[in-house]
Amino acid sequence: MSSSKMPKFSKTRLAEIDALVKRYPAAKSALMPVLYMAQEDFGYLSMETQEMIGNVLGLKIMEVREVVTFYTMFKEQPHGKYLLEVCTNASCMLNGADALYAHMKETLGINPGEITEDGLFSIAEVECAGACAGAPVVQVNNMYHEKATAESMDALITKVRAGEAI
Amino acid sequence: MTELFINDEEVTVPAGTSILEACRSNGVEVPYFCYHPELSVAANCRMCLVEVEGWPKPAASCCTPVAEGMKVVTETEGLEKDRAMMMEYLLINHPLDCPVCDQGGACKLQDYAVEHGMGKGRYIEAKRIPTDKDLGPFVNTCMTRCIHCTRCVRFADEIAGTGDMGVLNRGDHMLIEGIVEDALASELSGNLSDICPVGALLDKPSHDVSRPWEMKRHKSTCTQCPQGCDIEIESRDDEVMRIRPAKDGVEPWICDRGRFVYDAFRSENRLLKPMVRQSSGLQATSWDEAIEKSVELLKGKRVGIVFSPDWSLEGLTAIRLLHDVAFEDCKVAFELHRRDTRPFAFEEGLSMSTKAIEKADQVVILGSDLRQRLPILMQRLRKRINSGKPVTRIGSMFYRTNTTMAADMLIRPRDWAAVIASAMVQLTELGKLAAGMDAWLEKVEVRHDAGKLLADALIADSCALLVGEEIRSHEDAAALIHGLDLLMRAAGHAEEGKDGRNLLPEGMNAQLLSSMFGDLRTSAGDLFEAARQGEIDTLLLVGSDPIGDGLFSQQAKKALEKVSLVQVSSISGEMGQYADVQLPASAYSEVEGTFVNMEGRVRIADNPLRSLGEERPMWKVMMRLVQALGYDVPAVSLEEIRSQILDLSPVLTTLGDAWSGKDVKAMFIPSARNRKITTLPAALPMKTLDLVSRYSMYREGAWARVSDLLSEAGRIHAMDDVIVHPDTLINLNLQQGKLLIVSDTEEAEYEVGLRTDVSVGVVFVSKRGAAGDLSNVASVELKGGQ
Amino acid sequence: MISSDPTKVTRICFDNIEVKNMHKLDVAKKQGAYKFLPTVLKDFDTDQIIDEVKTSGLRGRGGAGFPTGLKWSFVPRNTGKPTYLLCNADEGEPGTFKDRDIMRFDPHLLIEGMIMSGFALGVKDAYIYVRGEFLHEYNVMCAAIDEAYAANLLGENILGSGFSMNLVMHRGAGAYICGEETALIESLEGKAGRPRFKPPFPAVEGFYGCPTVVNNVETLATVPAILEHGGAWHAAIGKPNNTGCKIFSVSGHVNKPGNYEVPMGTTLRDLIENYCGGLQHGDTPKVVIPGGSSTPWLLGEHYDVPLTYDDIMKAGSFLGSGAIIVMDETADLVAVTRRLSHFYAHESCGQCTPCREGTGWVERVMNRLDAGQGTEEDVKVLFDASTHMAGRTICALAEGAAAPTLSLLKFFPKDVQAKLVEKSS
Repeated sequence: MSSSKMPKFSKTRLAEIDALVKRYPAAKSALMPVLYMAQEDFGYLSMETQEMIGNVLGLKIMEVREVVTFYTMFKEQPHGKYLLEVCTNASCMLNGADALYAHMKETLGINPGEITEDGLFSIAEVECAGACAGAPVVQVNNMYHEKATAESMDALITKVRAGEAI
Repeated sequence: MTELFINDEEVTVPAGTSILEACRSNGVEVPYFCYHPELSVAANCRMCLVEVEGWPKPAASCCTPVAEGMKVVTETEGLEKDRAMMMEYLLINHPLDCPVCDQGGACKLQDYAVEHGMGKGRYIEAKRIPTDKDLGPFVNTCMTRCIHCTRCVRFADEIAGTGDMGVLNRGDHMLIEGIVEDALASELSGNLSDICPVGALLDKPSHDVSRPWEMKRHKSTCTQCPQGCDIEIESRDDEVMRIRPAKDGVEPWICDRGRFVYDAFRSENRLLKPMVRQSSGLQATSWDEAIEKSVELLKGKRVGIVFSPDWSLEGLTAIRLLHDVAFEDCKVAFELHRRDTRPFAFEEGLSMSTKAIEKADQVVILGSDLRQRLPILMQRLRKRINSGKPVTRIGSMFYRTNTTMAADMLIRPRDWAAVIASAMVQLTELGKLAAGMDAWLEKVEVRHDAGKLLADALIADSCALLVGEEIRSHEDAAALIHGLDLLMRAAGHAEEGKDGRNLLPEGMNAQLLSSMFGDLRTSAGDLFEAARQGEIDTLLLVGSDPIGDGLFSQQAKKALEKVSLVQVSSISGEMGQYADVQLPASAYSEVEGTFVNMEGRVRIADNPLRSLGEERPMWKVMMRLVQALGYDVPAVSLEEIRSQILDLSPVLTTLGDAWSGKDVKAMFIPSARNRKITTLPAALPMKTLDLVSRYSMYREGAWARVSDLLSEAGRIHAMDDVIVHPDTLINLNLQQGKLLIVSDTEEAEYEVGLRTDVSVGVVFVSKRGAAGDLSNVASVELKGGQ
Repeated sequence: MISSDPTKVTRICFDNIEVKNMHKLDVAKKQGAYKFLPTVLKDFDTDQIIDEVKTSGLRGRGGAGFPTGLKWSFVPRNTGKPTYLLCNADEGEPGTFKDRDIMRFDPHLLIEGMIMSGFALGVKDAYIYVRGEFLHEYNVMCAAIDEAYAANLLGENILGSGFSMNLVMHRGAGAYICGEETALIESLEGKAGRPRFKPPFPAVEGFYGCPTVVNNVETLATVPAILEHGGAWHAAIGKPNNTGCKIFSVSGHVNKPGNYEVPMGTTLRDLIENYCGGLQHGDTPKVVIPGGSSTPWLLGEHYDVPLTYDDIMKAGSFLGSGAIIVMDETADLVAVTRRLSHFYAHESCGQCTPCREGTGWVERVMNRLDAGQGTEEDVKVLFDASTHMAGRTICALAEGAAAPTLSLLKFFPKDVQAKLVEKSS
């Protein structure tokens, strides 16, 4: 891997990582938090990013890969600025999640793994979000929107497209 | 000890044993895939379920420890149904491609499907189709067949130490993957295909070549390094098809060098017929004519003998007999890696078994690229380190070990005396003394910090000192080894039963070479020099390749241009261009014979392959020469040769027991000790930089060189031909690039690469690289290029 | 304030759940947070705390219901290794959402519980492993922990007691299996969350091979009340062997889904009708999953079951984490089972053969079945593939995965038959 292609953490980040590592008995424990940082900084975890993280924490690339591919919240592909994650598990399903998910896919015109043309949205069907009293639940970049409806989601999408805060 | 019942039989096993191990050691068969006695327990295949009385659910026997009075049942209707279901689960995503699978006929999945499976699967959905991976020249993948037992992953983590195999994803998307640049980084990678219980990881070179049931199996001893592993050579129609570790061998693994050298056996470079040089070059001829020609070149001539130590003992004995009968006054050399021929306080060979080294309180490696030179010993050390025991290392390079040393320090070869002296001072301060230390210390003015590492390890109750090639090949080796001997005596590691003095040998049969040939030892460099100066008419080379191997290629080339050459060998190799006569000797796969490994362990090969051509066991070739030279033949049978061996040296009496069929597993021939040594360090004239010749397990040795498989690996794993530390250049005000290397005898330009894991002040040349001929030089100057 | 009269206690963990800004230290302190902590650190010895917790009858609230005091007593002393306390906040069992409310509304209750528990166990470093999706809760907890450090409730020499403990928040990243305690430990060690086989148990060899206690959020949040009012007090709440209060997360076909903390022994009917506003349709539920999606189904006939570990077990299921999913007559049970089978296939860590292959197999067959393409043979396959993964694996996920399918086949064969290609006569 040529070093020019290698993404780099900022100095502030590296200092944060140093502090983080100290909270655990071994540096490897800091891997998941550092992957989150990388995702925040670089959008997703490319192979180059994963290799860089291995170097920063003194881990083998395989150790990084094993973790990245095991957990669904680590993304190896870029996604839209807003990731809409619709829970369709039992309680949400009993409260109309399947129809909501179908509606949102249609509204956005995308399937999971795709990004809307404006680069704003990606969508995914996810497992129980642990907020079943608010079923159906949609996470927008991990912020919960409970008792979501086709209308409330349409409104949210319109707001984002209009550049308003959600 | 714990008493329990297995299928109503009372058995006793050590406390903490798993139920599975208790079953295995008592002959009760329990099926399993993921368990492997040399790997950590994963308990994931769930095939080894057993029932325990009073337990609500079946238990995985591999991860369940025995308990007093426990009642285990291994065969019930419920378990048979469970096993049938486990097979069905495993087979739903497994292709039905046994007819084209190399593993077919030697496959656990196949066997258990027959024994426990349902006959017909009920799975009608789409199958998982993972893609195959390129793991380099040795291991083939067919990942659709993978059953995710993770043996390979645990092997890469725990045995190879490379961690380049892993588990990606989860659920039934789970995937075994290797992340490699060009090839798996481990020198033990060939074992992956052995431990894979199915046909997912396969031996790449033998892919689609043969079926397991076509093979004949021959127990033999690997002579590719002094470890002398027990191997099983698989043959078809007298051709070597594969080499694998012997099932009941001392070590569970073999290295890639010992395994993939097998294509050399059918290489075009094999010497299968007697050859004689004609005007048109070497021509095949009859044995009679070749022997006649040899006699012409040898009889009444000034002869020099250079032989390789890797032959069977019977062969080596025959060389000694030839010498004693026909060439009593000739020079004999057998160590291409030894500059200092003075006797060593402890000669080549180990005083401990590798198992004892694994268990010692402390282990110190002095100047050795152990992973490449003795991969299986290095694996033992890795296992030791995994269990939390320390290994200390001092040497000129942080040679890759795929594990972590407890203490690790870089020095230059010229610093060894200072290192030993520092350790002596420290031991003296602790009141640990040995007679002769003062005299030794007096000769060394400087001290080196690395001595502290050495002394710290020496004060343990037991310490295995592994003295490597950097010391053994040193110009002042006898003095350094004497110094180390003093240290070991002072620290109490030299007594019988506690002897930790191990001088890592270059080749096989080290213990015997000293006792059989110690009195004749000549420096190979001196011998070649004598030949160059016209003091020798004919060289008799027995298996040795002094250009390809060892320190003296430059001298050897000059010598070979001058003299006649009679070559006795299994391989023609580079020597072929100089040979006047070539006499084909049987390969190690083709002989009945005795070998002694570096531990002094006796190994007997008694089920050889048939010769591919007209080659004869080397001892027979020697005896034929004795006869043709007009002397009485001292031995005409293997038995007679063997009785001659016993007469040669009293240390060899052990062999008699071995040949008479006694169990020799625990028999060790001791390595030679010279108690009267008083060799003291000398101040040798040195140029600015030390020079160290680097060894490659894939590129050295006549067999490895004619193996296409190993040559390919050598290319993949090669480092720069010439290497220095960046600071070495900074100190000399030089820039990286083409630089001039100046030695006593010549100067030439070489491309110089940089590494930071090497000692400053040392130039490393690859023995088989562009600058390999510099190997005999101990120090050089480095200057700017044009 | 929680009454010291056990007969008057209806809530423990949720006592202050409606208090505004309870997540702020000053507000929490006004409500009595950390009030009893100095007494514990000064006057209690560790054995005494463990004894109180044993006496209280508190059973782990994460799902397994193992007695907490007993779990603590397994931790070996003087091993020369540190002991770790890990809080399991990986709340991922479908239907469960109780720990989330404790963390986002009353984080200091959890922190206080962890300090007391850590003190009892001689812990120097404690971690809260929170599921990755709970980003808001993670942030609330981090802020609360910062406040606690600033007030010397965490860190060196807590409140001058000589006891020191660090508390670190750690986010998971979307893996249900990490709620299994050994998978959680693996994950916290920076690895894929694959459960370890036992023995060795975490109490002896857990986080980095050291003695480790893993407790659920609700369990730890109950500890302050137990120590303040005494184990006997807690033991007098609820039912024998099923003591204290329990938060039930009720979702599905009820009019007011939510978290309700009630004394153990409250009946299912009471909870649904008097707390949850009753069913969306009809008078009796068709199916109630009592302890999260991994527990076998209860039917309308069990509507009056008292909500205790023992009574629910008698009824054929498990109390689990107290996640009650209610399905009324409108529910398509084959579809629900299909959806749950997808969940388990998606969440299987993949290491054990029967779970890795079985969950995927069951999912694919369920997909066909729900699409009207199933056959009688498929029903047999579903039964075999589910039965033989349950109880044959390292962890209990396979058992949970088998529960919905086996419940469906057992209780609603007609619903299954109705979707087959060829209806049997």
